[in-house]
Amino acid sequence: MNITETLLNVLQSGMGGLAAYLAAHVLLCLLPAFFIAGALAALIPKEAITRYLGRDAPKWLSYPASALGGFLLAVCSCTIMPLFASIYKKGAGLGPAITFLFVGPAVNILAISFTGVQIGLDIALARVILSLIFGVLIGVLMAWFFRKDDIEHAKSTENNALFSSKATIPTRSILLFLLLLAALLAGTLQIGLFQNVFYTLQLPGSWAASVQAWLDSLIPPDPSLGIEGVSVHGLMLIGLLIIIAAASLKGFHRIYEGLTRWTTVTLGLITLTLVFASLSISVTSTGLLIGLNGRFIAEIIILGAIWWVSSKAFSASEKQEWLWETWRFVKQIIPLLLVGVFLASIARTLIPASWIQTLAGENTIWANLAGVLFGVFMYFPTLVEVPVAQTFLSLGMHRGVLLAYLLADPELSLQSILITNTVIGKKKTAVYIVLVTIFSTLAGLIFGWFVN
Amino acid sequence: MEIKILGGGCPKCERLEAITREVVEELGMEATFTKVKTMPEIMAYDVMTTPALVIDECVQCYGRIPGKEEVRAWLEASGE
Repeated sequence: MNITETLLNVLQSGMGGLAAYLAAHVLLCLLPAFFIAGALAALIPKEAITRYLGRDAPKWLSYPASALGGFLLAVCSCTIMPLFASIYKKGAGLGPAITFLFVGPAVNILAISFTGVQIGLDIALARVILSLIFGVLIGVLMAWFFRKDDIEHAKSTENNALFSSKATIPTRSILLFLLLLAALLAGTLQIGLFQNVFYTLQLPGSWAASVQAWLDSLIPPDPSLGIEGVSVHGLMLIGLLIIIAAASLKGFHRIYEGLTRWTTVTLGLITLTLVFASLSISVTSTGLLIGLNGRFIAEIIILGAIWWVSSKAFSASEKQEWLWETWRFVKQIIPLLLVGVFLASIARTLIPASWIQTLAGENTIWANLAGVLFGVFMYFPTLVEVPVAQTFLSLGMHRGVLLAYLLADPELSLQSILITNTVIGKKKTAVYIVLVTIFSTLAGLIFGWFVN
Repeated sequence: MEIKILGGGCPKCERLEAITREVVEELGMEATFTKVKTMPEIMAYDVMTTPALVIDECVQCYGRIPGKEEVRAWLEASGE
């Protein structure tokens, strides 16, 4: 094989991975997830959670509240550090602050839904449950290790007005959140209710088969490497996504100046694309076979309800803030994610499967520790850990080790270690890192046993 | 008038600063803008979430981006 051919192969697999992502998964999973993340950031008053994190809050309340706060409030990295510092210095103290810090990046709604769709519901659920349990455990342990410091800390902080708010999460925000979550689940759960086709339409046209043949020649599907290829349906969705991206620049980019007609057009396009993506479309020799399924009906009902609730129950400025936050997440994450997917797909063809299988193919302590250490030393931006994990999985990594890696990667990056250090000091940071390493390794081992 | 924007420099803080600058200009006020970025300094203002807007050492809001009308009201009240 000459060099140009190799290079071409590598590029082809990168593009293939990218196209398959855009076509199949990004839409039904990530679009709703971004809207959820935006809603959490914009529509949930932070005081509704922090009121349970004051100095005088009982322990049985402050630890679960920190864990919940990590999930609801920490969608944005610029809220994590100030909140962490306040809980530590002025509120419930080191333990709950650590719980908050741990749970935030681990149970991020974007990362969890993406993990569920790409790697499997088992890993996504394990990621949520183990992160919550271990977040509280690590917090309690840290508070116990440094209990002397905590007593001094208690003396120096009087009960602070900061934490005495009586705010609650408005019912309409909860309703919207549940509807968005329903849209996410209806779009991604692989169950009969959603997948079964109850009516089929046959669109004539022989072009479909030739387009599919062209797509297969461009990006050959290779199940052994986990390369899915792109369908005609996927190609249409990629086209729609590009149109949405262009419309967003008009509709979302200057959202703070007001909701314009472009905003409505963009939102309408997103809705239609989600509904279109939920259809089951396959190519036959005579044309396109369009199957109406449960997913299609469910998406129409849920998206309709979301439109209705958000227009009735939320003010223009709340909607503006929601869309601004959503758009901010998209701008911040999607470019890095696309590059990450591209590179991860390339890596899949470059790394010999035997390496991964020897190092991390079995569920042992060392394999899990290797997974954790890889997560610590390789810093991937939010969500990129998922395509990386998928590459490892297709190369033969054990699911337990994979979970250990997925837990450690967002937790312990060099950057977050440095910032944590400035708030709680070297000694506590070091103990925290050791605890996270031990617990992530344990999590991988335990989950690995279940899988075996 | 002394205006401080508390926050680590994320897009929200920039948005808050842009809004405040716009309103200051519309009102034709004289104001100095300072960005407060380090955690101990931010904590000294007793705010838990950023971005926060401080006008003449008084915290007007934190953890969210206020609307232009709100900012205008605060600026006018502090200017008197």
